[in-house]
Amino acid sequence: MKKPVILLMVLALLLWTGCTSKGRTAKGPSLRVAALAAPVTFNPLFARDPASAEVALLFFEPLLTFHPETLEPEGRLLKSWEIGGGGREYTLHLRRDAFWSDGTPVTAEDVAFTVKVACHPDYAGWLYYYLKHIDGAADYREGDRSCLAEGEMGGLTVEDGFTLKVRLAEPFAPFLASLAFPPLPAHVWQEVPVAEMEGHIFSRQPAVFSGPYRLHERRPDAFVHARASETYYLGKPGIEDIYYTVIPNPETQLVELLAGRLDLLPHLNKPEDMPLLLENDKLAVYTTDRLAYDFIGFNLKKVASQLSDRRVRQALSMAVDRRELVEKLLLGMGKVAAGPLSPLQRAFDADFTGYGYDPEAARKLLAETGLRKVELKLIFNAGNLLRENVAVLFSQKAAAIGVSISVVPMEWEAFVETLYRGDFDLVLLGFGTGVDPDFSYHWHSGGPGNLLGYSNREVNRLLEEAGKTLTEQERMALYREAQKLLVEDAPGVWLYYRQAVYAATAALRNFRPHPDFLFYQVHQWEMRGRATW
Amino acid sequence: MVRLVAGRLAQTLLVLAGVTVVTFFMMHYAPGQPLQNNPELRLDPTAVERWLALRGLDKPVPAQYAAWLGRLLCGDMGVSLVYNRPVPELLRERIPATLLLTVTAFVFSFGLAVFLGTKAAARPGSLLDTVINAVSLGGVSLPGFWLCMLAVMVFSHRLNLLPGAGMATPGSGGMADVAAHLVLPVSVLSLSGFAHYVRYVRVTVMEVMSQDYVRTARAKGLRKNAILRRHVLPNAALPLVTVAALSLPFLFTGAAMVEYVFAWPGMGRFIITSTLARDYPVIMAANLLVAVLVALANLAADLVYMLLDPRLRVEHRYAGRR
Repeated sequence: MKKPVILLMVLALLLWTGCTSKGRTAKGPSLRVAALAAPVTFNPLFARDPASAEVALLFFEPLLTFHPETLEPEGRLLKSWEIGGGGREYTLHLRRDAFWSDGTPVTAEDVAFTVKVACHPDYAGWLYYYLKHIDGAADYREGDRSCLAEGEMGGLTVEDGFTLKVRLAEPFAPFLASLAFPPLPAHVWQEVPVAEMEGHIFSRQPAVFSGPYRLHERRPDAFVHARASETYYLGKPGIEDIYYTVIPNPETQLVELLAGRLDLLPHLNKPEDMPLLLENDKLAVYTTDRLAYDFIGFNLKKVASQLSDRRVRQALSMAVDRRELVEKLLLGMGKVAAGPLSPLQRAFDADFTGYGYDPEAARKLLAETGLRKVELKLIFNAGNLLRENVAVLFSQKAAAIGVSISVVPMEWEAFVETLYRGDFDLVLLGFGTGVDPDFSYHWHSGGPGNLLGYSNREVNRLLEEAGKTLTEQERMALYREAQKLLVEDAPGVWLYYRQAVYAATAALRNFRPHPDFLFYQVHQWEMRGRATW
Repeated sequence: MVRLVAGRLAQTLLVLAGVTVVTFFMMHYAPGQPLQNNPELRLDPTAVERWLALRGLDKPVPAQYAAWLGRLLCGDMGVSLVYNRPVPELLRERIPATLLLTVTAFVFSFGLAVFLGTKAAARPGSLLDTVINAVSLGGVSLPGFWLCMLAVMVFSHRLNLLPGAGMATPGSGGMADVAAHLVLPVSVLSLSGFAHYVRYVRVTVMEVMSQDYVRTARAKGLRKNAILRRHVLPNAALPLVTVAALSLPFLFTGAAMVEYVFAWPGMGRFIITSTLARDYPVIMAANLLVAVLVALANLAADLVYMLLDPRLRVEHRYAGRR
């Protein structure tokens, strides 16, 4: 008796299915974007996960952004800027036609307030690192503060409603790239203690915003529905609704894209999927270089390590054929990395090729060291298929020159902890270069991201000097020189710059892949050639 | 009876306390911390320390446990360290989605298992029996992940019949839409559930059928269906109730694998992401929820036993007097 009932139910379910795909009610054109994880916050200052950082920029407009290919700064809320005072004084002019969604203009006060939030001792976000060069920032952070982001900060002067003067403690040329942050509306946030901001309701439901979209609906772990803002200063976006849809499994994402149930798939991870996408004429595929490289770092903090001998490190640098990695593992979707300067950056040196593949020379160099047996431990984060393959391939190549490497994949948190603790010889990881070529964060001996313990006085000096050099040409030359010295020391084996791949429905127009922002110029995107529901 | 129940309750509370201690300490001694510590985020180490201190995470673990327990006893499950919202709020948002998935699958798989398992047991060795055996063996041994991917591959990709991701089409919704999204995950979950349950049902029913009273019933000329319904099933119900009761807690924790592949916004995925993010209050709440439900389900199964089987009641009465 039960059987027919169940069969009927299944049948009913299947029948329902047939009628669902066209039951949409949205008015204007819509775009369904795939995401691997749900955003945690919409407050850009407190975004620590990629999804939050991506989505927050739909709701909050940055001061400036960068051209996707040349990385030249492009004003957004900033109309223009001047750099004076020997590279110490930045005068920022805000647009007068940009408004918060409640009708109040975006002012210099908002920017100053946001800078103070970032420099407040209770702020544990990413922005402080970029703004710490402002005169008085360190004092502001260390002083005995009120819980609010108020009071004075030496280097900040609000000249008038739309002009802000920022004075740095010392000249620091990369500072302009630090201005890509979106200001928060001071009139909404100024009564909120900084420690409570990330948990505040406005971080989940941005009631007052400046970006091209507003939050319409959010279903936990399912999707974020953003709707075009009527008040956006660059005009109402062409796409009415954006559904930022969470699908944690990349394969399911691909299936949904191919089935037409998704429109844009950013962060495509498997190069093997490329042919499938390229042969589909309903899809368009976009690629861009990324501002990040993968490399194998050597732990130089470890005492009495065989890696203290530079020749061992150089030998390992020559052991691996990076072109082969790019061709066979990335299937050409990337570029060989010779050093920390990205092909996108102005400082990039196309003539600098670093180490070539030369196992013979590597063996010879290794023999010179007189080391009998070189045994090393390589750690990396598990779950990243490409890195797993790279790790295995590298250990094979190392074995060919007589270095035995044990490969240890680790769960992410355990990996990070081991990385900080220094209990490893080699580590396979990715470093972000940032927009500005300054690589002090990772490779200056005092850089907070210098986890490997690399230290070279001359490299330090060059990086510091570059920071103070105002002529663009000279500054880039200094980075190139620093890169040369750095690579000679072989603190790691630079492997490749992966490309970012985006697949979108052919109906999506004006999409431009950007190495840093998914929703770059989203207000210009349009959906054409597809019936609107 | 009252003493027995009280005794079981006390035992349950002890087990629960034990579970919280073990989970809490294991979780805190595992590497990692709740504030994303990725060096690429360029967070200021002093600010990170301050962040942890503001949330009491710099104190010794036993002190943290005491604080957590104290708050729990006042009914406060804490605030998520990732979402900055009260934990019950987060659970409430996700439990309905999970229940929709798991209860539907449970009803399908258990109902089908009872129905087909009884049939198979009534005629061991028949074609139906062989097919069911094969299906259940397959269902138990095939990896869940593979089954999920296969379902997506065939029904969402090749045939393009059913959506492979999410609980509803964003921006549309509606009952029919949700039902369509339910089909694949429920089918996969049901298959493995069915495979699991049908073996119990078959064995239990076969055992009961070999009893003397069944032979008597048959001898007095009762029809096969009447025997099954009146004599076999009521007697076979007992072990089946246990199996069903013990599955109940997991209806709330969802099916992480299925939720991951089909992008179902439920508890399973939430528990996994929270664990990976070291969101201590959420991990504790989820574990406690499971522990409480398991304990309650066991207790309930015991009580139902006593209601269903008078023999147990008598035995316990004697046991109580001794």
